Amino acid sequence: MTPTISVQQLSKTYEVPEREGGFSAAVRSFFKRKYKDVKAVQEVNFNIEQGEVVGFLGPNGAGKTTTLKMLSGLLHPTSGTANVLGFTPWELKNDYLRSMTLVMGQRNRLSWDIPAADSFLLNQAIYRIPDDEYKETYKELDELLELEPLMKKPVRNLSLGERMKCEIAVGLLHRPKVLFLDEPTIGLDITGQARIREFLQEYNKRTGATIILTSHYMADVTALCERIIIIHHGQLKYDGGINDLSKKIAPFKLIGVLMENADAHDLSQYGEPVENMEDADKKFIQVKADEVTRITSRLLADLPIRDITIADPPIEDVIEQAFNA
Amino acid sequence: MHSLKLIYAFLKMNIQMSLAYRADTVVNILLNLMWLGWELLSLNIIFSNTQTLGGWGIGELIALLGVFRLVNTLMIALIWPNTEKFNQSIRDGSMDYTILQPANSMFLVTFSRITVWRFWDLILAIILIVIGINMSGDLITAPQILTFILLALSGIIVIYSLWIVLIALTFWFTKFDNNVTILQALLDAGRYPATVYPVWLRVIVTFIIPIAVATTIPLQALRGELAFNQVLIFFFIGVASFIIASRVWKSGLKRYSGASS
Repeated sequence: MTPTISVQQLSKTYEVPEREGGFSAAVRSFFKRKYKDVKAVQEVNFNIEQGEVVGFLGPNGAGKTTTLKMLSGLLHPTSGTANVLGFTPWELKNDYLRSMTLVMGQRNRLSWDIPAADSFLLNQAIYRIPDDEYKETYKELDELLELEPLMKKPVRNLSLGERMKCEIAVGLLHRPKVLFLDEPTIGLDITGQARIREFLQEYNKRTGATIILTSHYMADVTALCERIIIIHHGQLKYDGGINDLSKKIAPFKLIGVLMENADAHDLSQYGEPVENMEDADKKFIQVKADEVTRITSRLLADLPIRDITIADPPIEDVIEQAFNA
Repeated sequence: MHSLKLIYAFLKMNIQMSLAYRADTVVNILLNLMWLGWELLSLNIIFSNTQTLGGWGIGELIALLGVFRLVNTLMIALIWPNTEKFNQSIRDGSMDYTILQPANSMFLVTFSRITVWRFWDLILAIILIVIGINMSGDLITAPQILTFILLALSGIIVIYSLWIVLIALTFWFTKFDNNVTILQALLDAGRYPATVYPVWLRVIVTFIIPIAVATTIPLQALRGELAFNQVLIFFFIGVASFIIASRVWKSGLKRYSGASS
């Protein structure tokens, strides 16, 4: 079976005008522009199967949004190919546009002055959704997102979280098979984030839709995605299971020990001490995965240990290390 | 067929948006009633001062005024509000959503905003054209009326195409907010029959600035002054300009998708 999304050697280079600060530089730049090439995405490869939920991670400016824009068809790549559901996205075929959606957390599709219900109907017309199918989809989305109370108020009177629910719903009215979500939880409070997350999980389970999402919130990714793709400086740094990430990128373990008279003992000779862990009673050190057994037995032999734990480091720290690698 | 459905959907939404703010709605209704009164008054002045201009009779002048107003309605009801929306959508990035909708983006950009308050402009324009034709006397034949309608539509398409090209330039220049000011300046030149201008200016007005194609030319067809091949040429200009505009729009979109981030 061919993958739902397949990307080969995808690259995007922007030409960005550049000038020094100051008045005379501004005048000079009016007559003669200097451009600088910015390599936003460089030779990225990956395949995504139907029904997968994949998280795109990377700091600001890493190339996540650029990649999503190429996959949705908004941007032509500088080189490389992509295939989504059998289409080349940037050809913008109507059949393709009807089977995918792009939701951008920072942009509005709904009209500000009128209730969302009216914008929904306009989208029904644009996407040529038959009435009965529209009603059915709406009912289902309402069940999952509790839309009904939000539908009658002008969009400008909705809270950010409520508006985001509607923005996501309007993007799903045509039952897309592939969802590109760029920061769908941005600016939302913890409960708001959790709601969107639960919804996406349930939606994926019910419809088997393929989802790619970018997020700054690690919790989004750890809760939703079994697989993550890390992009940094436009390059793919990691592609794989979220659980394998620590093995590959940071083959470290955390050893936590509970001791009598803990402050009297210096652990730095055994491994790198780690501060500010949740469990305040214990002292933690980070050691290489293949040295865990050796160091554990040394610790047990040398120190008055009451309890010892061995665990993977938190995913946030691992990803942080991946960026810096 | 689906295009009509979409226009209907846009129209409905624009009426809803126009009614969203109560005070704004009331002011709009009052303002437009005042406008209508003023328009009727000024028409009365024109009617009561029977004169000829550049060899044109009063009936023809009234029909010309009607055609000019038709173009003006197009400007006020569609071109101005949609330009504003377009420029804004380039700036705030909502253009991205327009491009990703499964419909012709040029069509969406043309009809997404409609100034519904000026619907009476359209009716007034049509009434003026009908009165004008009637006043021109019995000399006018049915084929003349048909070519007149055909060329008036073709002229409106020329102006529309010019607009599309002007706003599509924004894809290259990122900011080009004066796009419609240029168009309006060109259109104002078409307020009088092209024959009142000296010959050299007439050539410019007719061929370089195509406003005459939308106003004077259809009137000449109405008077039976155009040969069959001339009618064909002007009709062809309408078709050609639409094709060119669609091409420019498409390459503009390509440029947008190549450069934006």
